[in-house]
Amino acid sequence: MSTIGTIGEISRTGARTNRAAQLIGVRLYGLLLILVLLSLWELSARLGWVVSAYWPPVTAILRAAVGELAGGDMLDALASTLRRAAIGYIVGSVVGVVLGILLGKSRVLRLALLPLIEIIRPIPTPAVIPPLILFLGVDDALKIFIVSLASFFPVFTNTISGVAAIDDTLIQTARTFRIGWLRTLVSVVLPATLPAVTAGLRTATSLTLVVAVLAEMIAGSSGMGYYLVQMQYALRPDLMYAAVLYLAIVGYCLNRAFIVLEARFVPWIGKT
Amino acid sequence: MSERLGFEHVTKVYESAGADFVAFDDITLEASPSEFLAIVGPSGCGKSTLLKMAAGLIPPTKGKVQLGGNTVSAPPPGVIYLFQQYAKSLFAWRTVIDNVMFPLEGAPRSQRAELRARCEDYLRQVGLSGFENSYPWQLSGGMQQRVAIARALAADPQVLLLDEPFSAVDALTRMELQTLVLQLWERRKFTAILVTHDVEEAIFLADRVAVLSARPTSLKEIIDVGLPRPRDQLATREDPRFLKLRHHLTTSLLAKGSGHVVAA
Ligand SMILES: Nc1ncnc2c1ncn2[C@@H]1O[C@H](COP(=O)(O)OP(=O)(O)OP(=O)(O)O)[C@@H](O)[C@H]1O
Ligand SMILES: [Mg+2]
Repeated sequence: MSTIGTIGEISRTGARTNRAAQLIGVRLYGLLLILVLLSLWELSARLGWVVSAYWPPVTAILRAAVGELAGGDMLDALASTLRRAAIGYIVGSVVGVVLGILLGKSRVLRLALLPLIEIIRPIPTPAVIPPLILFLGVDDALKIFIVSLASFFPVFTNTISGVAAIDDTLIQTARTFRIGWLRTLVSVVLPATLPAVTAGLRTATSLTLVVAVLAEMIAGSSGMGYYLVQMQYALRPDLMYAAVLYLAIVGYCLNRAFIVLEARFVPWIGKT
Repeated sequence: MSERLGFEHVTKVYESAGADFVAFDDITLEASPSEFLAIVGPSGCGKSTLLKMAAGLIPPTKGKVQLGGNTVSAPPPGVIYLFQQYAKSLFAWRTVIDNVMFPLEGAPRSQRAELRARCEDYLRQVGLSGFENSYPWQLSGGMQQRVAIARALAADPQVLLLDEPFSAVDALTRMELQTLVLQLWERRKFTAILVTHDVEEAIFLADRVAVLSARPTSLKEIIDVGLPRPRDQLATREDPRFLKLRHHLTTSLLAKGSGHVVAA
């Protein structure tokens, strides 16, 4: 018995290392392509294939990026962008979930509010920045509002259709157990809608950074968007690309974090 | 504890754009306290509608449902409807034990531990010990149905309404679940109304079997089963009376129209 157990153990761990190796192997191809492209970039700048003041070698960009860690404006800019993006994201998402559920549940509210929302929704968010500057100025209020608006819509639309898609059996189950409407809302409707909400939140996550940076480019004097434009004017392409690099890293990390949190907190996605 | 549940001249008309749809018209039927009543009938004749009406989930168009001395107008305490689509009635975001705890969560916090122990016992009774912390979607169909049954028990039903509870599981699981429900019923003595289109299942479980005709739906007949209890999957099914009833009910269901069929 114990011998068989041991062999089982060995072959099982063996299979696991194999699979891990395979996964790394597959990933390697993807990484390889990135490395090749970066090398081409480096070579094209160093060997003069592309002669341009705006085409620094990759190593120069990396040096600039690392240099900013020691002190500089870039990390401050990044922090202020992230702060505004986070506040806007939270505000927009909360309003999106709440309105999504309310409108999903109430026909009266749907009739009253949905036409208005449907008219605002197709307007590209950046288009409302110039008029909004007149009311909100060029600082935090404007940017937070714009980011909220951008994250509101995907969260709202996903939530409302998630509520509509709840199987009636779940609601009737709550009824047969004589569960009141508030508890039905909190412990049945809300969790049943969560997979849809999550999909909306995920879309909003990527939109948030885009819109925050864009708003900063158009108005105000802080944040990554402003910084990028300044570095462009200042003919500091190394810092400009380094800023892009930081944004890419932040975006990537946010997405990864989202996947991890999703698996942790909404494990039933796709299981109903 | 159990209650008498009676349908009095109930009619259900589903209103749809244009034509109204009469699911059934003027049905009168009663289950006495602690009785196991089965209702058989062809698909679409209104069995689920009838049960949901008893559960207070949908109102009758005409007539009324009486529970004890009261007319049912909303889901009454102690009447639990076990859904035909049991998999859809479980909460995917809750573990098995939390699904079973669901009906009891209104209770004060101080009773939580005791109630939880009771729910663990229900899970043991339906043979799901050790699966407390699994999620419903990690279980087989038969196990999911057991979770739904344990959750219904947790609500301490006086009337349990079972809507084709075993139609989606394999034959072996089905027999196990039938035996399980009989044991629980014998232990708890709630009033049970079971809807099925399986004649053998109806005879095996019930004290009386009510036969509904195809639409236009009417109550064709009610037969007394009269087989000894406790019932046994082999002995009961081989009993000559079981075979005679099966013959009779099958003939009755296969016959067109709503006229009475003379027993063979
Ligand atoms: N919400 C509804 N709106 C309109 N018609 C309905 C509705 N629910 C049921 N019906 C109709 O009423 C009839 C009875 O439905 P019900 O679900 O009660 O039948 P059933 O006997 O349980 O069938 P099955 O054995 O297939 O479960 C069906 O013909 C169905 O089309
Ligand atoms: Mg049905």
